[in-house]
Amino acid sequence: MAGTIRNAYTAVLARGDTWEGVVCTEPYEAAWAAEAVFFVHVMEVAQGAGGEALAQVQISPDGLRWVNEGTSMDILAQKDALCFARVSNFGGWLRLLVSVAPGVVIQVLATLALKA
Amino acid sequence: MSPPHTAHTAHADPRLSRYDPLTRIMYFDDFDQGMNGWTCLVGNYEESLATMTRSYARHTQPMLSQITHWDSGTHGSFDGTYALKIATRPVAGERNTAIKRVTYRRAARIRMETYFAFKPEASELKLSDLDVRSVGLLFDLQDAGQRVMPHLRYLNTLNGQRMHRWQFKQRSTQFRAIGARGETVTHDHLSPQDWEDVPGAAQDLCYNEIPTKINWHYLRFDFDLEHMRWLGFQCNDQVFDCAGVDSIRMPAMPNLSCMLNLAFYCEADTAKRTFFYLDSVLLSGEF
Repeated sequence: MAGTIRNAYTAVLARGDTWEGVVCTEPYEAAWAAEAVFFVHVMEVAQGAGGEALAQVQISPDGLRWVNEGTSMDILAQKDALCFARVSNFGGWLRLLVSVAPGVVIQVLATLALKA
Repeated sequence: MSPPHTAHTAHADPRLSRYDPLTRIMYFDDFDQGMNGWTCLVGNYEESLATMTRSYARHTQPMLSQITHWDSGTHGSFDGTYALKIATRPVAGERNTAIKRVTYRRAARIRMETYFAFKPEASELKLSDLDVRSVGLLFDLQDAGQRVMPHLRYLNTLNGQRMHRWQFKQRSTQFRAIGARGETVTHDHLSPQDWEDVPGAAQDLCYNEIPTKINWHYLRFDFDLEHMRWLGFQCNDQVFDCAGVDSIRMPAMPNLSCMLNLAFYCEADTAKRTFFYLDSVLLSGEF
């Protein structure tokens, strides 16, 4: 990326979405970025307060086939809980694979902060 | 020996030589340089995101893509690595958008130019030329008296039928109040209804033979801000006369003075992601 300062961009991956069961965020392309931080903010807990969800960072060679990158974060089902996961050297595509514990339903704001 | 007569001022910058800007360039966004202020178009809301119109709540963030495919690697953009990518979700009828918001300093003639391409996600080993429903652009404009929203789209497919035509719309959905304060309203101007063919609407584009081959197309759209009317548009070698073509119009709204928003959008016709790529966008004006 050209420019005298580092490019940066934050993408909202889930805007008030309800997560339960197994959820994937839409693929996000960011080959230009050298580093990324996923944030998940629990806006509301509809069901199962105190329970948990596990979000695993996934990468892909083509946006079609996905594999766990190895980084993950525990999401606490508590209003205004905020968690993050940092990754780098991820190639071109990023997404979150989220497994929400049975009986837990959360409304989330998930963002991806990217920097060249 | 004198040099051949090929010199042109635009050749001083080869990136501009493939464009025909008016006298003043308002912005020239090459996505090799970054996002350049292009962002997600979210719907209006008050107190809760649940008040947002669902079709807007589904919109996601644009991205910078190097257009990499499983079979052929990185395609790249017209003159570099990255293009702006607008991607729908893999649901038939889904749409997505990207928007840039500025204001105008004089109600003059303006010209939008871009090089674009579109493809469905390469998730099947098929031609897949009927998976993308449409790609298009809109301006959201306001002068002292009215808000005006010219919409133009290339309808590729509709419910599995090949359409290959340019369309516009003059009507939007009814306004709906957002929240209880009486401060915010919404309307779904990108709803599937009320699209009409422009005169001489038909055009075949260069789809190319499989979902992983991309060909860039030129698009020019001219509009008169002073009289809020279409002046015409061009895609590749076809120039379209816009006599009788108008915009969605409504009374001026309280807080949108001199608004000059440009948005691009795409729709999927099947349960496959539609990808709309823009190599660069140039907005110029006659002032």
